[in-house]
Amino acid sequence: MIELDKVSFAYADQGPSVQDVSFRLEKGEFAAILGANGAGKTTTVRLMDGLLKPTSGRVLIGGMDTAASSVSERAAKVGFLFQNPDRQICKNTVREEILFGLRTVRGQDGEEALQARTDEILKEFSFSGEEEPFSLSRGQRQRVALASILAVEPEILILDEPTTGLDYLECCQIMDRIRRMNEEQQVTVVMVCHDMEVVLDYAHRALVMAGGRLLADGAVPEIFRDTDLMEKASILPPQMIGLGLRLGAGFENADSPEKMAETVLALRGKGAAQ
Amino acid sequence: MNNLFQYVPGNSLIHRMNPVTKIFLTIIICVAAFVTDRLLFLVGLLAVDLLIGIVAGVANRTWNIFRGLLKIAVFLFLLQVLLTRKGTPVFWIITDQGLLTAGKVVLRLVVVCMPLALVLAVTRITDLTNAMVQVLHVPYQYAFTLSTAIRFIPQFLEEMSGIMEAQTARGVAFDKARGLKKFSMILPLCAPLLISSVRRTDQTAVAAEVRGFRLRTRESGYKKYPFTAVDLGAVLFSLALLAGAILL
Repeated sequence: MIELDKVSFAYADQGPSVQDVSFRLEKGEFAAILGANGAGKTTTVRLMDGLLKPTSGRVLIGGMDTAASSVSERAAKVGFLFQNPDRQICKNTVREEILFGLRTVRGQDGEEALQARTDEILKEFSFSGEEEPFSLSRGQRQRVALASILAVEPEILILDEPTTGLDYLECCQIMDRIRRMNEEQQVTVVMVCHDMEVVLDYAHRALVMAGGRLLADGAVPEIFRDTDLMEKASILPPQMIGLGLRLGAGFENADSPEKMAETVLALRGKGAAQ
Repeated sequence: MNNLFQYVPGNSLIHRMNPVTKIFLTIIICVAAFVTDRLLFLVGLLAVDLLIGIVAGVANRTWNIFRGLLKIAVFLFLLQVLLTRKGTPVFWIITDQGLLTAGKVVLRLVVVCMPLALVLAVTRITDLTNAMVQVLHVPYQYAFTLSTAIRFIPQFLEEMSGIMEAQTARGVAFDKARGLKKFSMILPLCAPLLISSVRRTDQTAVAAEVRGFRLRTRESGYKKYPFTAVDLGAVLFSLALLAGAILL
């Protein structure tokens, strides 16, 4: 579906930001890219969307090389939700904002079809369409940005720190909608995220980066129980796992967040009994 | 482009000069460029600009500024050459007078813009502000406004580049468009840029207020900006340049 083949990238006058990174994401996967600031996460997702061209190696989206594809070809397949929704929003009403993305990518569908799709998305996100985007709260603006991306029905969705600046409820609203789309429409989701609780709750696969290199690639519970890896990547595991590890849990048989929680609760119960 | 307005750390003769002297030298070069009518003197002033960049150890930055200005210069040169009708025709509608005027206009543009950009490369914005307040007795509010405006330029450029990237991700092909079409694509992006700029300005104003912006006086800065022999030499050199521009 999306494949990085020995990809390296360096910004002008700087050392390499991404070095020899290879991985493949299949249709319907929900992956999180983890790492400290400067690890190369954002550069990697920008490479995945073709916003940057690799210095060496190839990025393939459904077999299409990003270096040889046009902006509209890539935008039809990949949706990119930025950390700051204000960089994306450029129209005076929510309806116009959603229509803008649709007209750019699916203009050939005709105005009537685009208006119908806009009505559908507006209803789904509970917007009237006449709201002024810049008068909305940060969380609402992020929902407008997400709505305009989902309107074009991308096959791959890239999220660059989508929950930054959102309160817990807004974060859940956004992430639940993304999970639904991932599960129901088999959209591949790639998320850069510093909130490990969100990663544990929503992602299935984790790619850990440090110094521009891919350190590890595996299931989320498997990654979080590897304390050496966490230290090497300067990541703190979610509170529940951190607590379990301090209590001596190895999480050997815990292959899901629920089983990890059960392990911690069992340990707590044991401690209370003693 | 963003880097063109950023400070390059260093300990060169030019870096160590008093910020006020650097402003003085910049103004004198600009005045000299407008006072003189001799093409050769303008070439000499350009050489001075380049020399200042090399002595300051910012040769790369100087070259980048020069290259950036060259694009505008070529456009201006063509415009002048094609619109000037005076003089003897040399080729097609191009006259000797047109070539001379175009050369002078272009050289003036480069000579004037280069030291303005170079002074930002070799002087910290805070030093520029403090020196203006301490030495020139400019009210802090005005000096702060000027320095903030300069500081915001690279931030706005970065913001604009981020906005354009976000629109590219949505399928807007800026790279394929040229001229008016590209302009019409960029124009709607002024709204998010304006809004983010107002937000940023508001945040900066609040941050300055809570840190006692209005309490600041000329005596508040702990760093002093004395004039040294190097500054005296630079002032004399500036005056010599001005005299040369007037007399030659």
